[in-house]
Amino acid sequence: MRRRWLAFIGVAVLVGAVVVPALGVELVFWTHEDPNRTAIENQYIEEFQKMYPEVTIRRVTYPSGDIAQIILTAFAAHQGPDIFNMETEDEYPYIINRRVAPMDPAAAGYANLQAVYDAYQAGTLDAVTYEGKLYGLPMELTNWCIFLNTKYFREVGLNPGTDYPRTWEEMMAVSELLVIREGDILQRRGFDFRYPYYLIFLLPMVEQLGGSFLSEDGKTAVINDAAWLQVLGFFQEWGPNGKNLGSPTYTNARKLFNKDNNSVAMCLTGLYQIDRIRADNLAFYESNEWMIVPFPVFENAVNNYGCNYYGHYYMVNAESASEKQQWAWKFIAFMLSHGEDYLLKCGLIQPTNALLSSEAYETFPYADVFAADMARSKMVMLHEYNPQFDDLLREAIESVMLAGVTPEQALATLRQKANELLQE
Amino acid sequence: MSPTSSGRGRNVRRVLGRAARALPARILIWTVLGVMAVYVLAPLVFMLTAAFMPARDVMSMPYPWIPRSLYWQNFWQAIRGNDGKFMYARSILNSLVVAAAITASTALLATLTGYGLAKFPFRGRRVVLLLIIGTMMVPFQAIMIPLYMVVTKMGMQNSYAGLIVPFLINAFGVFLMRQYLLTFPDELIDAARIDGAGELQIFWRVIIPNSWPAIATLSILTFRSQWDNLIWPLLVVQSEEMKTIPLYITRFASEKYTDEGAMMAAAVIASLPMVILFFALAKYFVGGAKLFAARKG
Amino acid sequence: MLPALVFFGLFSFYPIVNAFYTSLFKQKLLSLAPPEYIGFGNYIYLLHSSTFWNSVRATAIFTVCTFVLLVGVSLLLAAFIASRKRIQSVLQMAYFSPAVVSSVVAAAVWMLIFDPRGLGNQAINAVLRTPGVDHKWLASATMLQISTILVYFWKYVGYFTIIFIAGLTSIPTTLHEAARIDGAGAWKDFWYVSFPLLKPTLVLVSVMSMIQCLRTFSTQYVFTQAGAPRGPIDVIAFGIYNTAIRDHQIGRASAMSVILFCLMLVLSWMQFRVSRSDDVSYL
Repeated sequence: MRRRWLAFIGVAVLVGAVVVPALGVELVFWTHEDPNRTAIENQYIEEFQKMYPEVTIRRVTYPSGDIAQIILTAFAAHQGPDIFNMETEDEYPYIINRRVAPMDPAAAGYANLQAVYDAYQAGTLDAVTYEGKLYGLPMELTNWCIFLNTKYFREVGLNPGTDYPRTWEEMMAVSELLVIREGDILQRRGFDFRYPYYLIFLLPMVEQLGGSFLSEDGKTAVINDAAWLQVLGFFQEWGPNGKNLGSPTYTNARKLFNKDNNSVAMCLTGLYQIDRIRADNLAFYESNEWMIVPFPVFENAVNNYGCNYYGHYYMVNAESASEKQQWAWKFIAFMLSHGEDYLLKCGLIQPTNALLSSEAYETFPYADVFAADMARSKMVMLHEYNPQFDDLLREAIESVMLAGVTPEQALATLRQKANELLQE
Repeated sequence: MSPTSSGRGRNVRRVLGRAARALPARILIWTVLGVMAVYVLAPLVFMLTAAFMPARDVMSMPYPWIPRSLYWQNFWQAIRGNDGKFMYARSILNSLVVAAAITASTALLATLTGYGLAKFPFRGRRVVLLLIIGTMMVPFQAIMIPLYMVVTKMGMQNSYAGLIVPFLINAFGVFLMRQYLLTFPDELIDAARIDGAGELQIFWRVIIPNSWPAIATLSILTFRSQWDNLIWPLLVVQSEEMKTIPLYITRFASEKYTDEGAMMAAAVIASLPMVILFFALAKYFVGGAKLFAARKG
Repeated sequence: MLPALVFFGLFSFYPIVNAFYTSLFKQKLLSLAPPEYIGFGNYIYLLHSSTFWNSVRATAIFTVCTFVLLVGVSLLLAAFIASRKRIQSVLQMAYFSPAVVSSVVAAAVWMLIFDPRGLGNQAINAVLRTPGVDHKWLASATMLQISTILVYFWKYVGYFTIIFIAGLTSIPTTLHEAARIDGAGAWKDFWYVSFPLLKPTLVLVSVMSMIQCLRTFSTQYVFTQAGAPRGPIDVIAFGIYNTAIRDHQIGRASAMSVILFCLMLVLSWMQFRVSRSDDVSYL
């Protein structure tokens, strides 16, 4: 038994050693599942392999909920893929720990580093710039707006074109009109938040009121209690112990929205949702009974912020051989040169100047709403402790919404734990 | 099974049965049994019926329980997959290969090791036994990363080897077989020795044929736990072709096109092989319990 | 035997030793810098961490409740079923059937049941005649703990019932007859004859179920992914996962594993110890 296994392993190693050099370069490319994107990227892989027969690319997809864990384990074991992408916040620790390779402008077909920065909208590469080096190229930059189902608005006597919620207070009032309950149980929600992505949608709400998560110097957490208490109070009011308009334990609103099955009237999501509506429910897509409006602000807001935006950047493993790194950047640049395909077929916006000034972008439905919102918004905060901060925010919101904790108590816990973390 | 055991059982039943003669006691007992049966079976019936309903019926209140018509589209969607590549069949095959290989090797190696620990008083036997029992108690999350490093260093990721090799033998199996073989009559072994049988021959000719109930039980338990394994395949498998059933199900569930009905259909399909195995080998599923019951801790 | 030990060494002992070694260092998963030796620093940190103590509490609640329910109810069911020969096999198969369903499938089914519109609310509301009440299965702290216990109990109750039935039916007939001659009723017979003789089975079942409970992870993980608050069900195994995967603190996570490991060892040792002090042997 043992001998057979040893023989098996021996053969496997031998085959690996002999076959790989003979085939040239193999690039391993891990990404999250997105059927629309898989279709076009597989096509690019084919084309690229035809142009450079010495290169083979193995593209592997993982569920978006698991990919961060899988890439992390692989990198911890020094077995990371050559190319990968994750959300900006998850990628940040890879940059500061020097696990990803600086971008190679020559391999990607740029004259120099400055040319790369010039090709993209100002500021959109800041998230992956660290100590003067660039560590990634954006596959998408996404912000979220409010999608609404006009049919349900009209059904309760609202005119979607004029009565759509502009403030959070209106959002609460409109949702109250739209909601259908059976006892306490929500059969149709008006709007519901996108739990648990609190760093993305919750922090801008606090910042609209002049609060912030971290002080300017980054040493203290939870600034401006009044702003925080107002937001926490809003969520308490929103949850099952308040007006009972929504809760993190219901099926996420953006998934139900596409079904158009009278279970949710509004949701918070990105431009890519349009393509998903088309794929999920063509009849609804073509009915024109949906529209998109900007991220609301509080009535007493002092800052006009929209929802934070985040990105997915393609990165290259610093431990890959330098030849592989060059091929990897070359391939990434090749994929990203199809900006219009990413927009038209997947609803993903690459923040290149070329795409944003193209006709395809300008005529894309509702791109203007998203662009206007992004112009007044900020990139999601980047910090080494982001995952923990996200969890602490989640704990605070869930404790006021579900566990009956007062906003004051929740804020005190949040402050204590966040500052404890910062001092570590 | 000794001839007396059924006699014993009958007697227990008779003695305990007297408690049931009083009517209030009887009502109480049947209520408890009934409530438990509903609690245990309702989720399974729900899974089965929901698999034949369109999603809007699955989530309607009150739940209809009886499908209005058999909505086979759910099963078609689950088998075909949202991408139309029919990868579910491949996942089922992978699960079968992996679970079967691990089951076979565990049965063999655990019996061998258990035999060694039970019948050969070598130095350090207690230490080895303690170490083996100790590994039963380690949460998998704790050893996940070092284990991953071992497997990737051997170049086994994304292969059957990577899925199978780390589980070729497990502590629980060794423990179970050792407990079982402790009471194996020494006379049988000695008799074989006197007949001039070698140690390996004894193992093949005497130990294995006389340990079938225990081996069968161990095999079923191993097969079941491998059928269930999610976190390890999630780490080592990197391509669609190598995915096992739990991975396929999690992926299928996370896809936007999958609704509640299709999800339940996939769940029913995933459960089928185990259900078949369960009914075919019910004797061993149930009988295995006796191995625990008859022995002191 | 040797190949088995080789495999054990490589795939079980090495990772465990590695975990213990790692627990003495301050080590970040992604960091390429050499880990910093901090002795028992991780352990000291954990003993002062409110999150860790919350995990201990969540684990204790889960383990004690599930354990008592599992052992108590399955013993009760076994006593009831063992005396009903005709339906014994049907009932034990029925109770055992959830064990056939894999965890991923079980989680998917229970998530739908605990949905506010799902069977959980419908069943409770039908029994209590309280239409339209949301019992917040995955939302309120207490209900959430109950939900995880319900799923776990559902999956394993049949298994332990069968073990107890096997234990009950292997008690020698003569003992029951003797008890009857002494004038013992059914209840007394069970309490004074069957129960003490079940002790070895009971101990084994206890150890097994307790170890299982202490290692519980997947139900809590799936519920949290689906939007349930983590605090009330942040059991130690889940905490280990979060500390390693979310916080990247592999050293600290290893220390938590070592603590959990020791806890299990001590508990099992105690249970064996208790059973040995007045062991009843009939084999």
